[in-house]
Amino acid sequence: MKKTAKNIIEISGLTKDYPLGNTTVNALRGIDLNVQEGAFTSIIGPSGSGKTTLLNIIGCIDTATRGSVKVAGHEITGLNDKQITDLRLHTIGFIFQTFNLIPVLDVLENIEFPLLLMKKHSGAEIRQRAEKLADLVGLGEHVKHRPAELSGGQRQRVAIARALVTSPSLVLADEPTANLDSVTGGQILEVMRQMNRLEKTTFIFSTHDANVLKYAIGVTKLKDGVITAN
Amino acid sequence: MQLIFKIAWRNILRHKGKSLIIGLILFLGSLLMTVGNGVISGMDHGLEQNVVNGFLGDVVIISEKQKTDNILLDFTGTLIEPITNYPQIKKLLQAERFVSRFLPAGKNMSLALSDDYNATPGFAYLLGVDFAEYQAMFPDSLKALEGRLFKPGERGILVPKKARDEFYNFTNRWLIPEGCSLVEANLSKDAKENLKTIIKADNIVLLGMNENNSSTDLRFGIKGVIAYRTLNTIFGHFSITDIESYRECLGYFSSSAHAIQVAKEDQKLLDLDTTNLDSLFGTESLMVSNPQAKPTPAPAAIAAAKAPADVDIEAGVYNMIFVKLKKGTSYNYAVSQLNKIFTANQAKVRAVTWKKASGFIGSMTTIIKGSLLAFVSLLFLVAIIIIVNTLTMAALERTPELGMMRAIGAQKQFVRLMFLSETAILSLVFGGAGFLLGAIIVNLIPMLNITSANDMVQLLYGGDIFHPLLKWTDIVVTLLELSLVTLIAAIYPIRVAGGIKPLDAIARD
Repeated sequence: MKKTAKNIIEISGLTKDYPLGNTTVNALRGIDLNVQEGAFTSIIGPSGSGKTTLLNIIGCIDTATRGSVKVAGHEITGLNDKQITDLRLHTIGFIFQTFNLIPVLDVLENIEFPLLLMKKHSGAEIRQRAEKLADLVGLGEHVKHRPAELSGGQRQRVAIARALVTSPSLVLADEPTANLDSVTGGQILEVMRQMNRLEKTTFIFSTHDANVLKYAIGVTKLKDGVITAN
Repeated sequence: MQLIFKIAWRNILRHKGKSLIIGLILFLGSLLMTVGNGVISGMDHGLEQNVVNGFLGDVVIISEKQKTDNILLDFTGTLIEPITNYPQIKKLLQAERFVSRFLPAGKNMSLALSDDYNATPGFAYLLGVDFAEYQAMFPDSLKALEGRLFKPGERGILVPKKARDEFYNFTNRWLIPEGCSLVEANLSKDAKENLKTIIKADNIVLLGMNENNSSTDLRFGIKGVIAYRTLNTIFGHFSITDIESYRECLGYFSSSAHAIQVAKEDQKLLDLDTTNLDSLFGTESLMVSNPQAKPTPAPAAIAAAKAPADVDIEAGVYNMIFVKLKKGTSYNYAVSQLNKIFTANQAKVRAVTWKKASGFIGSMTTIIKGSLLAFVSLLFLVAIIIIVNTLTMAALERTPELGMMRAIGAQKQFVRLMFLSETAILSLVFGGAGFLLGAIIVNLIPMLNITSANDMVQLLYGGDIFHPLLKWTDIVVTLLELSLVTLIAAIYPIRVAGGIKPLDAIARD
């Protein structure tokens, strides 16, 4: 019997409104979306379509105005700040558009950071796992470098390794290649795809770059806060 | 915590400029506080040592009628009330286990008269004591610069160098001890200028001052010119005389008056003595100061007369009793206990601490300490404002970094602790350095053996030598203040940093 993959994301009737002066911007209008575990899916759409807002809500960084959002079985709309932070730490990995590494920590320490926050593993385990991931993203030779000493592509690799170090069920990447040249961007997506295959990690990444789409296995199209194709 | 400290420390190094500004303020505040506290503690300790061991003892007993507790130097000229029941008080003090020893004394002001009618009368503080007992109570507290100290049972006066200079200014007489010649090196500046015309005198006429004008002018033979071991600025006002002469000068009831019965006709003869200005008006003119005061016979005769051996010197009038406590007894406990006993026994006296008894001198350290605290508090307030501003700006500048930390799983507490750690490390490093340097300075200064002859500086030193001292309470206070500054300065930036949301970081991007 064929095993059916579980949904890691279950969204129904998701609405997000932003007040803007005297008017309200409807960033998301009644989104229904399910994403299966192990997916490598892309959310695409033009600027202002709601891609980042959707990712932020899935990643518990922003809150929904209405609707239900389940991440790895947790209804996130009712969680408090501490629970949400714990969920982010243990379940979700983030890759930001602008890398956002801790400037005072070197490559290895940046990768180790989420594991240290978890306080679950020994120092040796943490170091081993971080080194393994640094090798995997091709930064084995640069582990003692600080972010300022790395190129954009290298920094994004660090961010990927950091996002994966806790073995999260879900990695969210908001336009991970937006600030990179096409070659480097391609390499980053290759790394993410490789991780998806090796670690069975679910990847959802947003982009408005058509070249990036060729890496995606599933695609969700957004326009004006509404899913137009899935 | 290791991770928090690592990030905090590296952030401090990364933002060197800001760290240096904050650190420098903390360093200066801590240094100033430590040295200031050291100087004040040294002054406090010096004053305590010198006043307690050299002049007043730990506790002073005064009449319950005494209006103010300040009996050492009251420039308003308030007279010290007499104590007439010393034998009763003596018994009560002897029964107290915490009392080490005590000394009854007379202390009041007198008018220094001159044979030169054009001269202005001067003022002199008189301390009347049994000198042998005085030396036992305050050993090595004074030395003779010229002449000698009292022989047992001897009458006369010991004049401090400072008081002699003042007498000269008032009476135009340069006092030298009996049988001694003028020592030019000891002349005051004014006396040196008039060296050729200087009038020497080996005695001085003092008129005791009391409220009822019942005192007597009395010629005191000068036995020695003395210097107190320290704080001559204060103590140098007090000329020491034997208690009987003191009582006679002040018109008090003396023990000799009990012992010597002078016939009325002899009294008239004695009154002819020209050294007694009051004698010109006859014995009837002598006034009675209080129920204990009695007309005093001619002083020259009394001065010459020796009291019989069986005279109970303690039966006469005193003004105060200096009490030394056994080691470890707190002033407040001793004063409270003594006052209870005095009340219960209707002794009509009260005990006060040396600080209260010494008036502004005792409270000087408290005033200076308060001023320093106010100054340092102001400095720390400015420091807090600068630190709050700098740290808040740093928190806002680091929004992407802090928001990202929160996004990938750092709790608010982590971010707050990180900021607190940064401030705490700065306090510890710079404040600690300020404290250490201050402690080194405080400990080095006494080795330099800095002395001063300046009156005000001596008061500031608490003695002749500048000897700052760092008490453990000063260390605790300084460290507490530093911790408090750190906490207060960190509260607002911590709130700002803790309030940064992951979304803020993304919005900033």
